[in-house]
Amino acid sequence: MTADQASQARAPAGADAPVIAATALTKRFGASITALDALTMAVGPGITGLVGANGAGKSTLIKILLGLLQPTSGTAAVLGLDTVAHGEQIRGLTGYMPEHDCLPPDVTATEFVTHMGRMSGMPPTAAKERAAESLRHVGLYEERYRQIGTYSTGMKQRVKLAQALTGDPRLLLLDEPTNGLDPAGRTAMLDLISRIGGEFGISVVVSSHLLGEVEQICDHLVAIAAGRLLRSATMSSFTQVSQVLAVEVEEGADLLGAELAARGVSVVRAERELVVLIAGDETFDAVRDAVARLGLPLIRMEQRRHRVEELFRADASIAGAALARVGFDASAGGHTTAARTAAADGH
Amino acid sequence: MATDNMADDVGVGTGALAPGTGVIHDIGYQTYDGPRFGRATIALALCWHSLRSAFGVGRGAKAKIIPVLTFAIMCAPAVINAVVMALGRSHGRVVSYDAYVGPLRVLVLVVFIAAQAPELVSRDLRSRVLPLYFARPIRRRDYPLAKFAAFALALLAMIDIPVLLLYVGTIMQVHGGAAIWAQTRAAVPGLLVGLMWAVVLAPIGLALASVSGRRAFSTGSVAIFLFMTWTLTTVLTKIVQSTGPHGTGARLSSAAQVSAAEHLFGLISPFTVLDGVRQWLGGTSHGIVADPGGYGAAYGVALLAFLGVSLAALVRRYASVSVS
Repeated sequence: MTADQASQARAPAGADAPVIAATALTKRFGASITALDALTMAVGPGITGLVGANGAGKSTLIKILLGLLQPTSGTAAVLGLDTVAHGEQIRGLTGYMPEHDCLPPDVTATEFVTHMGRMSGMPPTAAKERAAESLRHVGLYEERYRQIGTYSTGMKQRVKLAQALTGDPRLLLLDEPTNGLDPAGRTAMLDLISRIGGEFGISVVVSSHLLGEVEQICDHLVAIAAGRLLRSATMSSFTQVSQVLAVEVEEGADLLGAELAARGVSVVRAERELVVLIAGDETFDAVRDAVARLGLPLIRMEQRRHRVEELFRADASIAGAALARVGFDASAGGHTTAARTAAADGH
Repeated sequence: MATDNMADDVGVGTGALAPGTGVIHDIGYQTYDGPRFGRATIALALCWHSLRSAFGVGRGAKAKIIPVLTFAIMCAPAVINAVVMALGRSHGRVVSYDAYVGPLRVLVLVVFIAAQAPELVSRDLRSRVLPLYFARPIRRRDYPLAKFAAFALALLAMIDIPVLLLYVGTIMQVHGGAAIWAQTRAAVPGLLVGLMWAVVLAPIGLALASVSGRRAFSTGSVAIFLFMTWTLTTVLTKIVQSTGPHGTGARLSSAAQVSAAEHLFGLISPFTVLDGVRQWLGGTSHGIVADPGGYGAAYGVALLAFLGVSLAALVRRYASVSVS
């Protein structure tokens, strides 16, 4: 009986409803700015990456999902609740972590997260207990009695996550949670998000402009550019796209590019470096052999986290090749690949 | 069916750990099944939190200096009254309930509002914490309205607790039910005047303080507005009195003897407007402005204008705060 009620609470609007659903979602500001353009997608439980360059419409989408902005046309639903009609209810079930700093420096993390728990609608005692618990979950123990102003950037990010987590949300919206963190901090934050999505059973939407970063932890990926949906798919189909190798040689980059192309490797020149699409282990061998054969001074070989905007760049043949590989064609809509990537490139 | 749900619940509640195999100090993620309050209760909690911060409760010792000091000064006349009466130096009250040493009250409140209104609004603006509020169930206007209610209550405490002290100090020295009843009847309008002051001054202070997240600018704008308007009214009134048809420079108490210009100058400062309305509504004690007489309605309109404009400005201020 109790278990029944508990699982009911976990799924307030029926377990079948997607966590997020958008239908022809459009948002215009004035006559000239279109932040979201006929966005249609559905996201299930688990961790979803929302990737796009700055200004792609990620923040606008998050605001609409929280019921803070009204769409110009189309509809959006979170946890089966319409964002226009049930914004208040959605905000009660959703934890939001903004991109920017949002912490008062002169209170302790415990006080702050407790207060935010109360603002989520919890009674005082429960808010206090859950604040301690969520701070422990994000890895803040004794430090939580210190004023937030004394914290490092990494610790502040954890407090921001803790305040989103404290209300026991069904869904977490995390806006660029790794911003400003050093590599170790990024890894720790991503591990934490991964744990929340898996072990804690809370659906998570992580927005990022770095595909390579979120790809490690996501089950599902939504890529948007200029307010349009580029692709919404499970992670596996995306992962291949981002496997690229940046090769930098002191001289003879064009020569190497030609040599690699002759060896059947997809390669594109990007300013000072060559970006090579990794097809498998043989790609590394091909690069090694080509460099050795030409006797070029190799400076750097780096398996890179590819930026989304690079990924969808129309003029880069690698993008076309990559997109073709993952079956990025007209199946999802009426546009051709070229038209979509051109639209992406426009911004 | 039931087993299914149970398994589900365990999976959600304790994460990947099977029951019994977890480390003792790591109890895993716990879901919350307790009550979740809605907008009204959350706004009330925000109001209470803000009321506490208006007096520096829950903050460091430094945050309490100005509230405690200003409150003590506000109480001084009531205490002095009690002492004087207890020593038998005076047979009646030496301080009025409804006017309560007007100039002192004005100066103390300017300091309190300038110091504490930013505590309620500009801290949140500065730390950019507002998106966290707006991403929660409360709506945009709930935030400024909760702050308004909290600050009005704080001002009410600042104004009316001294009046209550005055009342208690007085009835301890008077004898007989009739005398106590007379004191009570005199004190109630005084308390209501305090309520009027609190409700009108709170949104003025908050609207001015919310112009900036920088505390210095916040405090500055409140202090400059309240103090400058008060000074302007006082100085202009003095000038009119000394150069007016009566030319004596003496305080005039009869409405008929006060020039129209003096009445108009009284409309500049919220404090003199409040005191004018008090007298228009029947307050008889000598206050900080001449009895408005036939200009009473103008003072009433000015009061509503101060309240309406400042409240609207405050609510508007938060309608434009960006969430991300």
